[in-house]
Amino acid sequence: MTRYWPALLSVALSLGAVGGYVSLLRMPVIRNHPALYLTAFALATAIAALASWRAARWPNLAALVFSAAMLVLGGYFNFALARIPTTAPALRVGEPAPDFTLPDAAGAPVTLASFRDRTPVVLVFYRGYW
Amino acid sequence: MQILAISPDSNERSQALAERLRAHYRFLTDRDLTVTRRYGLVHARGGNKGQDVPRPTTVVIDRQGIVRWLSLADNIQVRPEPGDVARAVRAL
Repeated sequence: MTRYWPALLSVALSLGAVGGYVSLLRMPVIRNHPALYLTAFALATAIAALASWRAARWPNLAALVFSAAMLVLGGYFNFALARIPTTAPALRVGEPAPDFTLPDAAGAPVTLASFRDRTPVVLVFYRGYW
Repeated sequence: MQILAISPDSNERSQALAERLRAHYRFLTDRDLTVTRRYGLVHARGGNKGQDVPRPTTVVIDRQGIVRWLSLADNIQVRPEPGDVARAVRAL
């Protein structure tokens, strides 16, 4: 079993990258750097490829297939699925923000212009939890 | 400073989220994305069910109502660094 440690390391690295990224999603340093998990998948693939090249036995080959699949899926997610098509926003730095009124969590209307001359406002548009 | 967090989520879910995070956010519901669309921040069919969702965006507005700082996501995973937003607010 011990001679398959590179294969085990490869699989552990791939799974660890997924688990680490998902569990630490709230940390900007992790969340904002998808290259971290892609690098881990690439490293895992390289380790398994080297092990398979030295000994083409099923544990090494299975680790290679698994890590390479993670690399492909991770790359597809990051470079295709997660991409947002660039469209021109109706906002320019130095220009007024369009006014609006929306209901808050209690249903009370909130108007952007009501904060004028009182306090700066940070608007955070987010995708929501569905 | 007032943080206004805008999403199409229902009021109850936004409220639950605010309480869970113990955040001083005011959650506003833009259910049909009217305001999000007026701001040009719709990610068409970007939701997990193929629905339109807001493009993750952070906007710093000064006391005169002028946009002073803007962060638009081009990848749904990426958000602005909190330190950058704080610096933009402090610079006002």
